[in-house]
Amino acid sequence: MDDSVKQVLRQIIRRIPSNKLRNTLSKWEHISKKQFQSLEFTQAKSLLCDNLLSLCEENELSMKHVTELEMIYRIEHPAQGSWNVCQLIDPEEEALTVDSLHFKESFKAHLKCLINHVSVKMKKHEDDALWIRIAWGDNFTQPNHLKPTYVVHNLQTPYVFVSGLTMKHRPLLHQALVQSGHYGAVKDVHLSGRCLTALRDLLMRQYKQVFPVKHPKLLEEKTPLPRTPCIEIEDTKHAENRMQMAAEAFGEGILPKLETAVYKLETRFKENEMGREEPFRGVVKFASSNLLESLKYCVSSGMASAPVTPLLSSITQKGRNYFVITDKGPGISNTPGPKI
Amino acid sequence: MEEARECLREGVLNHLNVLETEALVLSRQQKLCLQQQSRVDDLRITVEKLRAHRDQLKARAKTTMSLQQLKAETDQRNEERYEDDNSEEGCSRTGQSLLSLLMVRRTRVKDLLQAHHLIGGYDVTETRRGKGVSISIATAFEGLYLETYCLELDLSRAVRICRHNIPPFIPLEKLAQVHLQTDLIGFLSTLSSHLNAFAGRRQQICLIQEVLQDSVEVMESNMLFNSVVLMCTDSGESRKAMLFTLVYSDLSRYLPTKVTIDSEDKVLPSTPQWKKSQSLLLWTPAHAAFQALKMEGQIA
Repeated sequence: MDDSVKQVLRQIIRRIPSNKLRNTLSKWEHISKKQFQSLEFTQAKSLLCDNLLSLCEENELSMKHVTELEMIYRIEHPAQGSWNVCQLIDPEEEALTVDSLHFKESFKAHLKCLINHVSVKMKKHEDDALWIRIAWGDNFTQPNHLKPTYVVHNLQTPYVFVSGLTMKHRPLLHQALVQSGHYGAVKDVHLSGRCLTALRDLLMRQYKQVFPVKHPKLLEEKTPLPRTPCIEIEDTKHAENRMQMAAEAFGEGILPKLETAVYKLETRFKENEMGREEPFRGVVKFASSNLLESLKYCVSSGMASAPVTPLLSSITQKGRNYFVITDKGPGISNTPGPKI
Repeated sequence: MEEARECLREGVLNHLNVLETEALVLSRQQKLCLQQQSRVDDLRITVEKLRAHRDQLKARAKTTMSLQQLKAETDQRNEERYEDDNSEEGCSRTGQSLLSLLMVRRTRVKDLLQAHHLIGGYDVTETRRGKGVSISIATAFEGLYLETYCLELDLSRAVRICRHNIPPFIPLEKLAQVHLQTDLIGFLSTLSSHLNAFAGRRQQICLIQEVLQDSVEVMESNMLFNSVVLMCTDSGESRKAMLFTLVYSDLSRYLPTKVTIDSEDKVLPSTPQWKKSQSLLLWTPAHAAFQALKMEGQIA
């Protein structure tokens, strides 16, 4: 085991919180059960790390094995760092039939073609998602395992979730994805957030959406609005209507957890009295621990007007949380988002 | 003048005092008068408004009544028509009866839609004051209802899908490009067959995992369930593991288009027995086929 492997392992252990260390290490197959039991999890982390290092040395583990530990932790706890989404477009016929084995091989081959020093590790998660860990180097340096890029992709779906990717490596990753997935091109979806599952639920439409139907079921959350007995009769119908509108715009039950929505405004003053020629630029940023829930509450409680403005309902309908609003289009910008 | 002189005798100031009080009283009276007048005006406006509202309501009630009457009449007439074959002459083509006929047709179409929905067809609801519709497509496999998918269409200009909950691996965009503008029913039926086939394929795998969990193992499958690898053991003496690869290239069908069988024993897949089961898998849903193989004792 050389020093770089030790350094990487130290860093990985440092990043994993103490209370999750035991669980993560138990899933790591490269130390035996006996060795695992010999570890003292009540010890200080640095001591524990030293013990673990000696075990690894005993087992002659390499970088490949050590990075697997990091992958196990990231897969178990995906809500770290910021995830961006891109969409593969113009699928070829083969895109619907490509299997994971084939994809893995061809992705590795394509990436290695593009850049000399790169280390790729893939793991298929239980829910059919393919996790890819890429450590980038360049022509003269070895791959940097301290700052890996994580890519999550479900085959047969056009969405790719990326975390920790630099601008420099972006075209390389995109090209490898397009070629191995049999697509024509790739584009940015303008959706980002910390919670990977939320982004995925939003784009794959796995959260509970509400559609107007003939025989509506009772909405689950009927109680939260406080009521005054005197205005109840007049208010009930309006309140129900508002709830329905809010549910149709943002969904029902547990909503995908988004943290932000950014609207970039670029407009000109209509009456140009001030003699200003350059456009007025502004950024409106909504931030919340659960943005969709907050927006939904604004509508259902009557704080925001009831047919939800397309600007807000576009977050769920178009699956994006970054918008550029210009004068040309009346509603949403013309920067491309996911189709349909 | 006499009065004034008398007053002057009493003093100028006193006289002014009297004048002032008189002026005050007068102005107060005037103000009261004005107030009453404006209140009367207000009340009059209210009365007018209420009257207009009453007239409107009356008119509405009248039209509803007459419509109901017309409907009853047409219903009766229809019944008569069923009883009596030559009723054509009895049907006078006035505007009102035409209207009622249209209404009858509308209710019939609504009933048909309802019936269609009850047997698993689409549920269509008008949204946004007639500018859009929300359509729900139910999926089922072997008589069991599975998920219902919905899509909302915007009909104001060209037909456009505004939102839906159809999973991303269903080629919705491609289907929409082909059919959506020209043939809505065609679009819905192809979409429905894709969704039903997907639900069917998934259900087959679920059933295999549930019912045949100790004899057939699902080695590999994907989100679209269009390529599935299954493993089971041959019941012969050598107990060879058999690997089945089912490929569904027609996404609107729940049956595979290609079945390949692999085994460590290269000869085994080409025996007539396994050849037969290969063709069985092409024509029967996977869970049923494997159940049959197990019943026959071909797999352990």
